[in-house]
Amino acid sequence: MNIPNVNYTVHYVVHAYRQAPWRIQRQWIGTFMLIVLGLAMVASLYLDVTAQAALTGRTIQNLSYEISAGQQANADLETKIGELTSTYVMEQRAAALGYQPVTANQIQYVIVPGYTAPKPAILAAAPELKPSAPSILPEYTESLMDWFDQRLTPPPTTSLIGNSQ
Amino acid sequence: MRQQYAWRSLVLAGILSFVGILIILQTFRIQNSPEAAVFRAQAAAYANVLQTYYPERGDIYDRSGHLLAGNKTVYEIGVDLQNATDKHAIALAVGVELGLNPDDLYNQMINPPAGLQYLVLADYVDADKAAALQQLKAATDAQNNSLAGLEFKPHPQRSYPEGSLASNVLGFVNREGRGYFGIEEKYNNLLAGNPVQVSVPTDPNKAFDLPHVPNGTTLVLTIDRDLQAAVEQILNDSLTKYGATNGTIVVMNPRNGEILALASSPQMDLNQFWNYGSIYHNASEFDRAVSMPYEPGSVIKILTMAAALDSGTTTPNATYLDTGALLVGGATIRNWNDQAWGVQDMTGCLENSLNVCLAMLSTKMGAQTFYGYMNRFGIGHLTGVDLAGEAAGRLKVPGDADWYPVDLATNAFGQGVSVTPIQLMMAASAVPDGGRMVTPHVLYAMVRDGRQYSVPTQYAGSPISADTASTLNQMLAVSLEREASSALVPGYRIAGKTGTAQIPDAYGYEDGVTNASFLGWGPVDDPQFMIYVWLEKPTASIWGSDTAAPTFAQVAQKTILLLNIPPDSVRKEIAKP
Repeated sequence: MNIPNVNYTVHYVVHAYRQAPWRIQRQWIGTFMLIVLGLAMVASLYLDVTAQAALTGRTIQNLSYEISAGQQANADLETKIGELTSTYVMEQRAAALGYQPVTANQIQYVIVPGYTAPKPAILAAAPELKPSAPSILPEYTESLMDWFDQRLTPPPTTSLIGNSQ
Repeated sequence: MRQQYAWRSLVLAGILSFVGILIILQTFRIQNSPEAAVFRAQAAAYANVLQTYYPERGDIYDRSGHLLAGNKTVYEIGVDLQNATDKHAIALAVGVELGLNPDDLYNQMINPPAGLQYLVLADYVDADKAAALQQLKAATDAQNNSLAGLEFKPHPQRSYPEGSLASNVLGFVNREGRGYFGIEEKYNNLLAGNPVQVSVPTDPNKAFDLPHVPNGTTLVLTIDRDLQAAVEQILNDSLTKYGATNGTIVVMNPRNGEILALASSPQMDLNQFWNYGSIYHNASEFDRAVSMPYEPGSVIKILTMAAALDSGTTTPNATYLDTGALLVGGATIRNWNDQAWGVQDMTGCLENSLNVCLAMLSTKMGAQTFYGYMNRFGIGHLTGVDLAGEAAGRLKVPGDADWYPVDLATNAFGQGVSVTPIQLMMAASAVPDGGRMVTPHVLYAMVRDGRQYSVPTQYAGSPISADTASTLNQMLAVSLEREASSALVPGYRIAGKTGTAQIPDAYGYEDGVTNASFLGWGPVDDPQFMIYVWLEKPTASIWGSDTAAPTFAQVAQKTILLLNIPPDSVRKEIAKP
């Protein structure tokens, strides 16, 4: 049996699949929505932080006004007490209560062991706290861009120059 | 068909993209244009405002913690002319509440200066009155709003709860917040504190750090409020009793220079400082003890005798024959009564206040020695007392154009030399303080940032030895006892010296008027107070022994009571082992 010399060419059928157009659109829309959602989240976060900073700023301002009002009220009261206990007023009150100024011959001196004479006033209270650094945290003052900038910028290197012992 | 749509879509997308890109490019262009830089600069300029925070002025207390000067809130009451709907009602309400003439207020409101929108009707209104007016406004707001436009602006004002007490020491603060006279002027910078300027963002949503503005320094004075009140009372009574035009009394601790009381006439209510001009004719009258030099007369004999003893020119028991006259530099020096006092010892010289004796001592010492001692005593120099407006007085010395040889004699008994009471006190403090002079001061301590800083005692040199001081101390005490001076205080040994000085004028000395003085201290063995009394032109008697000396005794008795100083006998009993 003669077999003819035939050059066979094998053709493979390649099945090419293509996404349906609606699926591609959906993917694009999904990606776009994801980006929009991300941006919305960032924006809402930014708004939230800004609003909190503003509110805190307002609160601080109100508190500072309250502090200064309180200090002023204290000063007023202190002066009022000073007026109510002034020499003239106290003399009038003493006279109304029947007291009389003492004279030298009415005084009898008695030796009291351990008695110490009154000393001049010590008015100073305990040392008050002094703020040595800004009291408002950076979270309340820096913007989102500032925050990114800080994160991206490498911290400055410090070099110590000093005398060695 | 589909292909056509695709092309259209592409073209549309291209156009829109192009427009979008153009917008973005334009945005970049605008942001980087020269105009943008200008706008950015403007925005930056308006982004912050410089705000000044003024500290509260420091308080002033006496040595026991009684408030002498504080701060209180007062109100400026004004009207917003644009919003004022019923000017009649405003004028009536403000006029009635504040005791002002409503017609005047109304005229001010209907004829305001051109361009003025806010008119001040009254300032420095007390909080009580302002509150009453605010209540009235609140009541009308609910009804017809007739007081619309009325505004209240609170601001601090210096307040002196004691009124005129210690006014000559304290001074006052004017409406601009600047201190005048006394402590308020001397320590104005400390009391006022340091204003802080801060850049505040104009954007209300931006938080900023509030500056820490420490209040002005609070001062504690050496003044004893009760003693001050008593001394002022005695001074004013003495002025009336002896018919003096003015006077000064100073009480000081000769051991440390603390001024316990300082009264000078006239006093003024510091809460009404605007009356200053009608009370005082010139600044030196505000505090005569430090600002007004005068010829002190015989009280300066304390210093002359100290110099003579210390230089060895004389001794306490040395005697001399007083002939009642001494010729020095072509002028005859006479005693106060033009009499000769015969043989006298040095205590007798002080006891009888003999001008001839002291002139003899100064001439015997010589100008160089005498003026050397006067210089060391600080005569003619500022003491450095911490009160504003101190005057140095005048001590002519050889070489000055107006010095004559007779001045050596007259200076010895307090003529031709001018001093302030505080100068003489500092100089004489060497006698009770063992030869060492103390610098008088009014500041006891400062309170700042919660810490109290005490002022240490300062010494102004030792012009005489401790032995001289002790000797003179006894001589002055004996001279008062021999004289049976009206300055003596029962139960307490006192040392001191009177002074009666003629008052110089353009032609020599005024007739019939004198300055009466007394400088003394006690108890002699443990000096705790030194008192200077100066009464100007007393009419009841021209002599210091009749006017200033009894005033000294009154002040000494009050001082003894208020400082709880037991009589000499009790103190000696306590001192026994």
